[in-house]
Amino acid sequence: MSVYKRTYHSYMGEVTPLRTRFLVLTRYGFSDVWSSRITNILFAMCFLPTVIGLVMIYVMNSDVAKLLLGAQNIRGLTIDQRFFFGVMQSQCWLALILTAWIGPRLISADMSDNALPILLSRPITRWEYVLGKLIVLWTMLSAVTWAPLLLLWGFQAYNAKQPWAAANLFIAGGMVAGSLIWVALLSLVALALSSWVKWRVVGTGLIFGAIFIPAGVGGVFNAVMRTDKGFLLNIPFMMTILWHRLLRVPALFFEQRVSLSLPEISIALALMCAACVLVLHRRIRAREVVRG
Amino acid sequence: MRERLEEAKKWAARQPYRLWWVQLRAVVRLEAKRNVLAWRSLWIYFLGFIPVVIIGLHTIVDPAKASGMGEDTMVLAGIFQLYYIRLGIFFGCLGIFSRLIRGEMVERSLHYYLLAPVRREILLLGKFIAGCITALMIFESAVFLSFTLIYAHYGAAGQAFVMDGPGLGQLEAYMGITALACLGYGSIFMLLSMLFKNPTPAAMIFMGWEFINPILPSLLQKISIASYLRHLMPVSMPMHGVLALLTVVTEPVRPWAATMGVLVLTAVVVGISCYRMRKLEIRYTTE
Repeated sequence: MSVYKRTYHSYMGEVTPLRTRFLVLTRYGFSDVWSSRITNILFAMCFLPTVIGLVMIYVMNSDVAKLLLGAQNIRGLTIDQRFFFGVMQSQCWLALILTAWIGPRLISADMSDNALPILLSRPITRWEYVLGKLIVLWTMLSAVTWAPLLLLWGFQAYNAKQPWAAANLFIAGGMVAGSLIWVALLSLVALALSSWVKWRVVGTGLIFGAIFIPAGVGGVFNAVMRTDKGFLLNIPFMMTILWHRLLRVPALFFEQRVSLSLPEISIALALMCAACVLVLHRRIRAREVVRG
Repeated sequence: MRERLEEAKKWAARQPYRLWWVQLRAVVRLEAKRNVLAWRSLWIYFLGFIPVVIIGLHTIVDPAKASGMGEDTMVLAGIFQLYYIRLGIFFGCLGIFSRLIRGEMVERSLHYYLLAPVRREILLLGKFIAGCITALMIFESAVFLSFTLIYAHYGAAGQAFVMDGPGLGQLEAYMGITALACLGYGSIFMLLSMLFKNPTPAAMIFMGWEFINPILPSLLQKISIASYLRHLMPVSMPMHGVLALLTVVTEPVRPWAATMGVLVLTAVVVGISCYRMRKLEIRYTTE
């Protein structure tokens, strides 16, 4: 049959509800992210601290396991907020690597292929577009941060011989809150930077650069100006202090010497998120730039 | 054996060195212009010159020299060892040298070069030299300005420290280390950009490698740029905790040996890159 004889008609099937239409972007985002083998490897690698943590919790709570491993006299290792802080820190830094890999995949391709005008000509607003992409990152990062951490906490609560859960509920709350702040920051930074550059290669580098370079600049500022305020550019340092406070871990020596308050850290992180939102507002537009 | 040597000599004498030299200069000129005068290089200027801006602010804010010159010397050493070597030059070279080959692949413009009647090694060397010119221009001037500003602050005392004291020697050392860092990191990132579609994860692994290098066996310590540069630092920095890994010198090495170490490592890496360049195939569809 010749192609020109075909008659075209509109789609007659079930239509996606208008409110959830942006989830189409999420669905395609997930399929794009999972299409890479490296994503699978990285995602699996992100669970390594959790698995080690599970084994440690089991051994520390089981006399038989301790006896079999010859570890009856282990001292110094207790399943408390320090232990959960260690696992949380590992999970969150692995989440950064995962973000650097999958974040730029989500938006950069649309930017480099000039696909935004086509996507935004559908009944999807700019913010729904961002939300659709954000959900992908948020889900992936949640799956490697607060979800496994809560699992660990639940496992310890189940295995503990003494009543443990009620007295240590703050650990669960702190881990969820700390992880959610980290996930929100990472997601926004990744999307903002990916929208700024066209190429994924550059996007990956920029995400690492955005975390480490301001920390270095803050360090230079501290050293030259003899102040502590440069730490407000140091995301790893601020997050460590925040996680310590949320999990009620005693402050380390270097932390005690720094005079940063929790409101200052919160304002700095909020400003960073606001800057990312501003970048997204500027960049996510249905326009095509043609350079001659 | 003698015959082979004679053959090799004849082969070497037959090569069109003059043509290669002309082509190399043309590639360097073209690439240097593209790297130095590009809007996309602005962030590298930021990386290089942000400490200069902060030190300049310090000069304005603290004109009464409340801080001593000795303290400022340590501050400068810290800025150089922890910021410039570990972050500024590292990420700057990652940006400059990854763009040379991989950037052109992403932009889909490398085939223009490959279609030209130029040996690929010449092309690669030209690009590498242009990258080095860009990196050296930015970071050498930034380090020089940082040094000048921090001592200009002290007037005559600062001048005496630089001209009659250890200052000039320190400046020479900083400039030399900067050049070696640009060459070393540049060669490695150029190779990584040819080996991987996305060189950043590999660069981050390399960053981790450089960080943990002092605790590795001495043989493995030789496959690192920072481990050589540590031996050339004019001012030793006492660091505590994890950061001590960045400045600790585990095994003393003579300065000339450290310098040769970086140069040999760079030459080997550029050699491998030349070999890779000969076998390079472009598949734009997979980029």
